[in-house]
Amino acid sequence: MLRRTEGIVLKTFPFGEADLIVTFLTGSYGIVKTFAKSPRKTRSRFGSSLEPLTHSKISFWGREDAALPRLTQADIIHPFDTIRSGLQCFLKASEVLELTLIFMPERDACAGVYGLLVSTLHAMEADCGAGLRVLHYKLKLLDSVGYLPRLKGCGRCGGDSESFHLSQGSVVCDACSKGSAVTFRLSPGVISLASNLLVWDTAKIQRIKPADGLVMELSRLLDEHVKYVTERELKTRAFRG
Amino acid sequence: MQGIIENLVAELTRLPGIGRKTAQRLAFFILSMPDAEALSLARAIGAVKEKARFCGRCFNITEQEVCEICSDDTRDRDRICVVEEPSTIQVMERVKGLHCLYHVLLGALSPIDGITPERLKIGELVNRVRNNGVTEVIIATNPNTKGEITAQYIKEVLSPFPVKVTRIAYGLPMGSDIEFADEVTLGKALEGRREL
Repeated sequence: MLRRTEGIVLKTFPFGEADLIVTFLTGSYGIVKTFAKSPRKTRSRFGSSLEPLTHSKISFWGREDAALPRLTQADIIHPFDTIRSGLQCFLKASEVLELTLIFMPERDACAGVYGLLVSTLHAMEADCGAGLRVLHYKLKLLDSVGYLPRLKGCGRCGGDSESFHLSQGSVVCDACSKGSAVTFRLSPGVISLASNLLVWDTAKIQRIKPADGLVMELSRLLDEHVKYVTERELKTRAFRG
Repeated sequence: MQGIIENLVAELTRLPGIGRKTAQRLAFFILSMPDAEALSLARAIGAVKEKARFCGRCFNITEQEVCEICSDDTRDRDRICVVEEPSTIQVMERVKGLHCLYHVLLGALSPIDGITPERLKIGELVNRVRNNGVTEVIIATNPNTKGEITAQYIKEVLSPFPVKVTRIAYGLPMGSDIEFADEVTLGKALEGRREL
């Protein structure tokens, strides 16, 4: 069966002499891994359409349950090549791609996350310097897939607390924590920054200028939360110096 | 008997691009080969694994401590061409007029795969530039995202040194039609246009 959709290239993996296994995040099918014949040859009809971040109209052929359908066509909608041409910007975008690969299940469409990724990449292309973009994406992605850490109100009784427990994925009050170690003491500013980021849309992020300390605190909390949930360090973290 | 062939098929399927069917075909072809040819193939594989090693200077594949290219005194020693894999050197050597030294990175940066600069031979390249009076570094990594990011990283780490860092041009392959080119390739070709 031939299927057509739009997708963003998340990752490519060389296979055989000149073939590629290309992982897309698509609007209609979620994450799809496809097999592309000979795109690494200089005269390939795929051209640069299979480079990471490229937003394309794609067609792929295979049974509905085929593990690796064959990619038959990829026409570029937007290449996002300006993100790829800057080292620092590409490193930020790589973190976005890695998080998407980790948290999005295969063949499970989520139009919200797809739209969020497209709008985040457009925003990064317009202004890659805005430090909140990756944080914003991370929070919204975690919210969509059900792994958002609870920063407001004790996860057990709903009471007030600023003690975040990694093992609970939530703030827990002293009465409910029963002596378990607190991982983070959250400042009120971080709680309000996280809740604001969840409701603001991507286009408005560049207008917000929170204190660097707050951004670092939230960033560190989310990094540790992601590490706890996935039981591994993000590979792109090695590049943060 | 069945066990020996089965074992050979299993070993051949380890090779890239070789599935079970092709491995079976190759196994039966090896079986039908004259003894001398089959043993010569086996010896060649053994010799490669025994003797081949990376050149101590450029990380090309060689049998000696230093490869033939690095020991060739007629080469332009002021220029180093940086490539991702040793196999690329053979392709570059076909180009007339490029008679310089090489440096093999043994890969390309890939944040999403966790391939950091420490896993490549970038530090060794910096040492060669620092110690050997190199005047030009030609970056010939692949014209894809990983290759481009690697090129930019090398440019950054070489910026403190008085060395010209150049990148091979992007563009359309010879013999192709412009109408089949995608916008990114065509855009790069236009960016790199030159006056006639």
